[in-house]
Amino acid sequence: MFEATPLNQRNDTRQKLFRFGLGTMTGLLILPVVLILGTLIYKGAPVISFEFLFTGPTKGMTAGGIFPALLGTILLVLVALIASVPLGIAAAIYLSEYAADNWFTRTINLAIINLAGVPSIVHALFGVGAFVIFFRFGTSILAASLTLAIMTLPVVIVATRESLQAVPMAFREACWNMGATRWQTIRRVVLPNAITGILTGVILEVSRTAGETAPIMFTGAAFFLPLLPQSVFDQTMALSLHLFVVSTQVPGMPENLPFGVALVLISMVLLMNSLSIALRMYLRGKKKW
Amino acid sequence: MTTRNRLLVLSTAATMALLAACGGGEQRQVIQNKGSDTLVNVAQAWAEAYQDVHPTVVVAVSGGGSGTGIAALINGTVDIANASRAIKDKELKLAQDNGQSPIQHVVGYDALAVYIHPDNPMDSFSLEQLAEIYADGGSYLSWTDLGVEVPGCQDQEIVVVSRQNNSGTYAYFREAVLGDADFKLGTRDMHGSKDVVDLVENTPCAVGYSGLAYATEHVKLACIAAETGGECTNPSVATALDGSYPIARPLFMYTNGEPTGYIGEYMNWIMSNEGQCIILNKGYAPVTEVDCG
Repeated sequence: MFEATPLNQRNDTRQKLFRFGLGTMTGLLILPVVLILGTLIYKGAPVISFEFLFTGPTKGMTAGGIFPALLGTILLVLVALIASVPLGIAAAIYLSEYAADNWFTRTINLAIINLAGVPSIVHALFGVGAFVIFFRFGTSILAASLTLAIMTLPVVIVATRESLQAVPMAFREACWNMGATRWQTIRRVVLPNAITGILTGVILEVSRTAGETAPIMFTGAAFFLPLLPQSVFDQTMALSLHLFVVSTQVPGMPENLPFGVALVLISMVLLMNSLSIALRMYLRGKKKW
Repeated sequence: MTTRNRLLVLSTAATMALLAACGGGEQRQVIQNKGSDTLVNVAQAWAEAYQDVHPTVVVAVSGGGSGTGIAALINGTVDIANASRAIKDKELKLAQDNGQSPIQHVVGYDALAVYIHPDNPMDSFSLEQLAEIYADGGSYLSWTDLGVEVPGCQDQEIVVVSRQNNSGTYAYFREAVLGDADFKLGTRDMHGSKDVVDLVENTPCAVGYSGLAYATEHVKLACIAAETGGECTNPSVATALDGSYPIARPLFMYTNGEPTGYIGEYMNWIMSNEGQCIILNKGYAPVTEVDCG
């Protein structure tokens, strides 16, 4: 064995120092998450009850539950998914499986990237101009969901395209050599192998959509509605806007209620994210490569 | 069944269940009601209570500010716009150009209270003093200019709290106190009546204005004198009603044309004893004499 030279020792100390320092920084990352969740659970859990989740607000929203907002968020997300998932997946299949690398495809790719970078308040104003006023949907679930759909399209397209491209080329070539057409190959080989990634993208879209406030507050979400919506042409309440309202707009609000609303919202998003992870793990076990 | 098919069936079933759950049968009438943040909580209380009167009429309430409500009326996207200021000639013309004919309804009165921190030794302001604090070029920059020292306020510099410029409260304060002069640069412009009170609660140096209904036990309401050296009046529902409080203002609802049908019924109910008792309970002065039992 060699004696450690002073240089070795110095390097060794540095190595330990940096390792510790960088490790601490990484550890700090979980601090905000723990603090946020901890505060929400500590202050919000006492107000959560069956009644809180499944009845409407009363007494100027300072009492009662959040059911109209909870249902509203679920409806907004569902309608947004119905609009954006088929479109997004179709576009991704075309871009990944059919499109040649030319100026047209490159323009579309650039458009998708830019769409992802547009701030949500700009999407909101676009939604007001296009869906609420021009298409005459009025402030409605339909207008709000379409705005959300456009905003989250890039998430679906990018996730789907990436999972399609992760399917090895050899799978497609083998299939073509059996005499299968391009569509048969996509339908029987590429899509089944890419479904994990596509579903993950869709679920991530759900959790993003559920939390957005700006795109819905001018297009379809109301401060207060006495009854549940009957069709997609009605307005709705939504959890994210309700959280804004109960925490900043209403005097005499019980201190814990906004925390309860926030806890429900974040639980919904976390549930979706966990579902996405679980699904991915389950389907990964079935992967053939 | 493959996983994919199972998922498809599940999601379809969920969608159907949801659509069925909210697809009741009865015919509904929806009233779109949007605007003033000062009125939004009253509007909400009216909408909530009206459910017991007319269960098939849905009043959809949104906030955003008086300007937002009036803009929506001009666009024809609301049935009733709430405003804590009167519609401007320019807006009226825009509305008429768009084929709307806004009709004004006074639904209540609000005492615009001036809020200060409880530690602030000031008890009253004259309108002239408020103008010196708020107006562009006004000479009061620190509390010592007013002859007081506020404990807990470093530098004694006045933190001037105001509202965003599409707020009706902003417009009324500017007209009634500043004589339509511009606000000082560097005011803190809050997006909501409650935000103003919240900030003043936690800031010893601050002064702010907001509807009386937003008062809490953690702020002090200043007594307001119309003239410097004159007698001051405390803000209250009573002083707003009898006109002795110098900065009380009417609260408006605007409809497109004389309201008829279910919108007319709703407006009539708002002006009834029951509707006016609700606005009184929320801390505003009613338009008519009421008996709330």
